[in-house]
Amino acid sequence: MTVLVTASGLTKKYGDLVAVAGIDFEIREGECFGFLGPNGAGKTTTVRMIHCVSPVTSGTLTVGGLPAGIGNRALKKMTGVIPQEINLDNDLTVQENLVVFARFFDIGRKEARVRIAELLRFVELEAKAASKISELSTGMKRRLLIARALINRPRLIVADEPTTGLDPQARHLIWQRLRQLKTQGATLILTTQYMEEAQQLCDRIVVMYQGKILKEGVPGKLVEEEIGREVVEVRIPQEDDEKLLGQLSSFACAHERVGDTLYFYCQDGHPLMRKLVELDLHNYLNRPATLEDVFLKLTGRSLHE
Amino acid sequence: MSLSYRIAYVFLRNLYSYKRFIVPTFLVSLVEPLFYLITFGVGMGAYMGAFGGKSYLHFLVPGVLVSAVMMSASFECLYGTFIKIVHEKVYDSLVATPVSADEAVAGDIVWASFRGLVSGSLMMAVALAMGVAPASPFRFLPLLAFMIFIGILFGSLAMIVTSVAPSFDFFSYYTELVVTPMLFFSGVFFPLERFPGWMKALAEFLPLTHAVRISRALFTGEPAAGLGWSFAGLAVLAAVVFTVSIKMMRKRLIK
Repeated sequence: MTVLVTASGLTKKYGDLVAVAGIDFEIREGECFGFLGPNGAGKTTTVRMIHCVSPVTSGTLTVGGLPAGIGNRALKKMTGVIPQEINLDNDLTVQENLVVFARFFDIGRKEARVRIAELLRFVELEAKAASKISELSTGMKRRLLIARALINRPRLIVADEPTTGLDPQARHLIWQRLRQLKTQGATLILTTQYMEEAQQLCDRIVVMYQGKILKEGVPGKLVEEEIGREVVEVRIPQEDDEKLLGQLSSFACAHERVGDTLYFYCQDGHPLMRKLVELDLHNYLNRPATLEDVFLKLTGRSLHE
Repeated sequence: MSLSYRIAYVFLRNLYSYKRFIVPTFLVSLVEPLFYLITFGVGMGAYMGAFGGKSYLHFLVPGVLVSAVMMSASFECLYGTFIKIVHEKVYDSLVATPVSADEAVAGDIVWASFRGLVSGSLMMAVALAMGVAPASPFRFLPLLAFMIFIGILFGSLAMIVTSVAPSFDFFSYYTELVVTPMLFFSGVFFPLERFPGWMKALAEFLPLTHAVRISRALFTGEPAAGLGWSFAGLAVLAAVVFTVSIKMMRKRLIK
């Protein structure tokens, strides 16, 4: 697969604040690449540099072989942006929002009409074409943002936390649409705090924290490498840790105490569970390991053996 | 600066949005001139006698024309643009498209000039209805062109204020300390001749003074001293504030 986006030593500073601290990554054509991280990790800043609305402080960043930069209209022309903040034009109707955006991309009136009808169907908003933005629900607004981002038939789609504040139905609809776009050949860059979203959509992810990339990989593999297959959670008072850990010392599971819970990361949680039943503990559970565990391990606290 | 035909797209966006406010803004644009022309022109004019052989209203109209353009263009680039940047986030979505931040700002200034032209034209229509007309019908076109120019000038000036404004309240400094005083010191309502020397000198530093002088000469067909200098000064000022406003707004928009 060809590489579409290449960053090397990419850095962004706002005065003394370092938002992105010299990161390297490659995004391949046709894949969905996810930036994961807590608030303030530098995800949004990174993607804003990719879609050319924020200048690069130092390092290099190329998209489709061209250097990313504020004045690069060619890159902006091939990119569709689904912003984190709902910045639809409230003075205009749904249809007018798309008409005006089509003009911004030099799309002719006739062609725009065809695309708008198509896109409104795609995001299931045909019935709302004449509505004001204030009459839409949050889910509808997010869908309209997707339609707007697609008006220029982008090769690269940047989705910055596209499902923030949505109910499950609306979120799943958006996931379906994003997956559909990927199968149509677009390259997708996603930032998210929702691990499930990353697992659902991304081929590869990087975990960002404090402006740096902590880990890169395929979601499923990352979970296995970092955590294992299963997690056993035991809720016991911290004073009892020593005693319990002594009783469980024969199990090959790493453990970690976070707040009121003792976590065990195992390849197979069953033997440990049987032992816990035997010990007659009350508050415990066994579940598959998720990206969230990776995320918390990497960004939250270190693992104690 | 990165300016292209795309400025027209920004203008178009504003035109779409304007459709919804067209009736209230026309009403406001009509009521304001009526207020000036009736209170000052007719009410005060009754005590003034003849002004150079004509009624006071004839003196007042050319000055009020450009003041209306100034007010309208200024408010558009202060409140109109601020809302688009901070509250509606229109600029955020714009700069992610091939339209540049410079074009977005220039488009808004051109738009403000258009709003000024609408206000000035309505003012002109009211004046005509009250029997005050330019010296000849050929003078309409240069007057309209001059209004567009004045709109660009004051729109750009206001844009500079907006580029550093933290909130709406900040605009009061500009409107109360700059725009309103300028209205009374620029020879809109009375000739500057009777001002003491230092006030006359001060008035020469106000762009509106020169705008009023040119507007009056265009309207009445009576040439005044130093018109060429007035126009040259305004043209240079307009070029400077237009460039500076775009640079300063770019700083605010691109981070």
